[in-house]
Amino acid sequence: MEQKVCHKEDLQPGEMMESTLGKHSIVVCRASDGHYYAFLNRCIHQGAPLSKGKLCGAPAPTDNVGEYNFEKDGDILRCPWHGREFDVKNEGRMLVNEKYKVKNFSVSVENNDVIVYN
Amino acid sequence: MLIDTDVHERVMYEELLPYLEQPWKRYIEDCHWIQEKHMPYTQPAVAGVDRADARIPDGRPAGTDLSFMQQQLLDANNHEKAVLTGALDPSPSSMHGWYEMATALATAYNNWQIDKWLDQDERLYGSIHIAAQEPWNAVKEIERIGSHPKMVQVLLPIDDKLWGDPYYHPIFEAAQRHNLAIGMHHNEPPVYYGQWPKYFIEWHTLIPTSHMNVVTNMIFNGVFDKFPDLKLIMIEGGFTYVPFLMNKMDQQYTDLRHEVPWVKRMPSDIVRENMLFTTQPLESMKKKELMQIIDQLGSDEIISFSTDYPHWDYDSPDAALPPNLDDDLKEKLYTENARNFYPKF
Ligand code: FES
Repeated sequence: MEQKVCHKEDLQPGEMMESTLGKHSIVVCRASDGHYYAFLNRCIHQGAPLSKGKLCGAPAPTDNVGEYNFEKDGDILRCPWHGREFDVKNEGRMLVNEKYKVKNFSVSVENNDVIVYN
Repeated sequence: MLIDTDVHERVMYEELLPYLEQPWKRYIEDCHWIQEKHMPYTQPAVAGVDRADARIPDGRPAGTDLSFMQQQLLDANNHEKAVLTGALDPSPSSMHGWYEMATALATAYNNWQIDKWLDQDERLYGSIHIAAQEPWNAVKEIERIGSHPKMVQVLLPIDDKLWGDPYYHPIFEAAQRHNLAIGMHHNEPPVYYGQWPKYFIEWHTLIPTSHMNVVTNMIFNGVFDKFPDLKLIMIEGGFTYVPFLMNKMDQQYTDLRHEVPWVKRMPSDIVRENMLFTTQPLESMKKKELMQIIDQLGSDEIISFSTDYPHWDYDSPDAALPPNLDDDLKEKLYTENARNFYPKF
């Protein structure tokens, strides 16, 4: 299945929107690099709608206690409930443990349209 | 055989005098300085906080006489080793001021401990007392005495300070460098936000909560990321709270990693890789219950038997653990886990 979810200019880098793909609710994210990524709009923890969270950055792992190096701004999808962090540019994998990920969908841009595939 | 991870030797202040220089000596000799005391309770057991039969026959307090301890504890229970953990009196790191006096007391205590205990019985191993309020002086003491072959850990009290703060990290750096573990034991008053509850029974019931404070604090302040070889032994808080705490910390870390980006491992992995918990005071439990807790810990190598001799809530090596444990588990609890934990064993 494939579905047109929005026009290119509907999302700026760092923005996301809710959409549907067949019977699924999905979240379409435009990351800092301008590319589009799509995920099931359901957190793997307790099912929160990820589109209600925040597309933001995250403090990078550091060796220095007390040091915050904010990075990946616009690439981290944080859940609206318990705040778990998913890296949209790394297949929706969770920052604390890459074993876990949100289900992701392929996306392509054709002409002016963003299209999601399942 | 037994490696006992919590045995309390006690000093009489007059015994410390030969180890103190002036002006410190005169504060005890002439001015009757004593460690601050706060405990408001009439003493709870038959002989205060000690086993009534551990009082020295000549009337001195329990824990003050090596030959009596040898007879009543070390020989009677076939101890292979025992780690001395002090009586928290004096407890230099607990003093609320006058850190110069605290530093002098720590040095005197360590020298007394080596002379009167560690050099007198090959089974005895020691804890380095420091005045941690001033980490630079604490580090000097660790440098001075840390390579003594029978000093196996640096002792820190659990009371109203949380030692994971980077201010205290030089202590951990020095300990790691000298192959010393960190031993933490509650002092007064670690529960109820630094206040005393109304009854001793409340305080004594809630001691594990103070241990939870410290474990949580040490992990999330990045101590074990900065010093990955550092070992922490939590003394006299038991271990039955640990499965809960591991789960709770893992869940919190999964949600709130962004606040502590210096923590790089799951807290439960840090607990399993860097920590050891002494068994006493054991709640009564059946073998099945013990095995369930071990299953939840994900390891049978992070708990170690301790007696807490000569205190009133002593655990007997023969009777405190549930009967019919498998031989290899008994070996781990009674000796192997402690042997593998302490870098100097
Ligand atoms: S539901 Fe998403 S973090 Fe809990």
